[in-house]
Amino acid sequence: MDDLKFGERFYLREAIQGMGILARHFWKNLFGFRDPNPEILERKGAGVNMVSTMNYPEERKEYPPGYRGMHRLVPRVDGKPRCVACYMCATACPAQCIYIEAGEYQAEAIEKFPVRFEIDELRCIVCGFCVEACPKDAIRMDTGTHAPAVLSRPLAVFDKEALLKGPAVEYPSDVLTYRVPLRVLPKDH
Amino acid sequence: MSTPAARLASEDFGPATSRKPEFRAWLITTLIGWAAFIAFLFFFSWILVQLGRIPVVGNIVALILILVMITATLLTMADRKWSALMQDRVGPNRARFAIIPGLRDKPLKGIPHIVADVLKMLFKEDFIPEGALHNRILFNLAPLLAFAPAFMLFAVVPVSPTLQVAKVDWGILYVFALASIAVFGTALAGWTSNNKLALLGGLRASAQLVSYEVTLGLTVVGTFIAFGTLRLDGMAQLQGMVEPSIRTAIATADSWFVHDQSVLFGWLPAWGLIFQPLGMILFLVAAQAEIKRAPFDTPEGESEIIGYFLEYSGLKSGLFLIAEYAETVVVAGIVTTVFLGAYHLPWVEPTVARALGFSSLEVLQVFAFIVKMLAVIWVMFVVRWAFPRFRYDQIMRLGWKMMLPISLVNVAVTAAVYLWAGREGMAWMGIAEWAGIIFYIGLTHG
Repeated sequence: MDDLKFGERFYLREAIQGMGILARHFWKNLFGFRDPNPEILERKGAGVNMVSTMNYPEERKEYPPGYRGMHRLVPRVDGKPRCVACYMCATACPAQCIYIEAGEYQAEAIEKFPVRFEIDELRCIVCGFCVEACPKDAIRMDTGTHAPAVLSRPLAVFDKEALLKGPAVEYPSDVLTYRVPLRVLPKDH
Repeated sequence: MSTPAARLASEDFGPATSRKPEFRAWLITTLIGWAAFIAFLFFFSWILVQLGRIPVVGNIVALILILVMITATLLTMADRKWSALMQDRVGPNRARFAIIPGLRDKPLKGIPHIVADVLKMLFKEDFIPEGALHNRILFNLAPLLAFAPAFMLFAVVPVSPTLQVAKVDWGILYVFALASIAVFGTALAGWTSNNKLALLGGLRASAQLVSYEVTLGLTVVGTFIAFGTLRLDGMAQLQGMVEPSIRTAIATADSWFVHDQSVLFGWLPAWGLIFQPLGMILFLVAAQAEIKRAPFDTPEGESEIIGYFLEYSGLKSGLFLIAEYAETVVVAGIVTTVFLGAYHLPWVEPTVARALGFSSLEVLQVFAFIVKMLAVIWVMFVVRWAFPRFRYDQIMRLGWKMMLPISLVNVAVTAAVYLWAGREGMAWMGIAEWAGIIFYIGLTHG
């Protein structure tokens, strides 16, 4: 109180200056249009108002490139998953949210594939250990989306069909492993 | 769309950014919107004037049921939307009239939220706490006592020369009398709830309201001196030209522009704010305290005590809330009537009357009154959102040690100037006060 100068102790000027700030924001926001650019600091230009809200479900901010999003099972060029059901991701998972049941290919160079591959997105802690553990680059967290909201717990368990999406990936070494059968199995096997 | 992750995300959810609005489209929609708003206000004024012609009940229906009720209802949403604009937010826009096909994706500026709020309050349980059961009648009476005076107050406010419920000699005294009755509502609500926090709210409300009524009464004494009447319609007539003098002016006019003879010095509208600038500012502050709006909302004080209406639920709680907005409308109406020239248009009234006739002039006057009233309401809302809540002792100090002496000095100086130099001298005093206020605010640096 003692630090205030004589003019300030009336309080009236500061009060009216504060109201002036609010009024300026009010009219600028009322007449300007809202720029929906998700980068709020880049919302500039003639007539753009100062509203910094993002209307979330309609407008989304891009996640950064390194964002660990929801898992996907990487497909091969023929549409099947790259996964060979080696259980290394399930073993590495600290939350134990990956469940795999292995099956066997009859006429391919590689022998195993996942019959069931399920991830409980409610248990997942998005640590990325499964991606690090995978020897075949078969599981990635590059979808850029987070796990969607669901109305019941079973819906949060994503099965193989839900996880298998995105662009196919293949490496030169893949040709040796699955495209060309190295050994031809007898028909009655 | 720059990163592969974003490209993948867009497969699921669509593009992350929406299109930037075009300047031309924005300009056209803004212009159409404002034109529609002003046209609606004209239509609304016309409806009010037409309703006022119905004998006996016309004025009551037009003013109290339609003007105050609709404005107060819309203000519940305006408060939220305007505060959002002041704070760089969007405001409530999620409720939709989803059952009407064309309006499914239209926020409609938050209007559906009003319907949502009303429905919510209607279907809430009407709960009476155990401690209030032995005071059930008083407990139920409290919201009515808070709500009814707010509406009855508007009876003496003239919205146009004919549109007024009660033209009484004791107009402004009626305002003060009924404003004090609102104290009973809050005090009763706080006491009968049998809740410590509600009682605290009721106590604060009664102390604050009684204190600020003194200032509220003294601030308008200056306008009594200036206008020489207690009638609100009399004050309104004195701030512009009445119909007979307009007819005389038209008959004797020598050009297309009929000179408004009520203006001071030939150019200054003789409105109350010219005579009593200090009185107007003090009246606005005291009225803000009287209707318990922030920064004087210690009786409510939702972050410390929840308020005197703590134990009320459903529509009874809603009555307290809507009463606050109705009181805002009424205070804005009184300020408009006493200080802002009531329904008068500045300078052009006789010209408009000759060009369009007196019935069109009346519609224009109602329009002018509503616009002035909305402006005062807007200022009150800016005040409400600009300042933090005063502490209780600060409110008492402001009321008794600052505003009361200033209003007393204002009364004494106004009376002296009136005796010395008459009405024009008061106008000069007012102009000097305005110059001092503007100089103090704009040109000095703290």
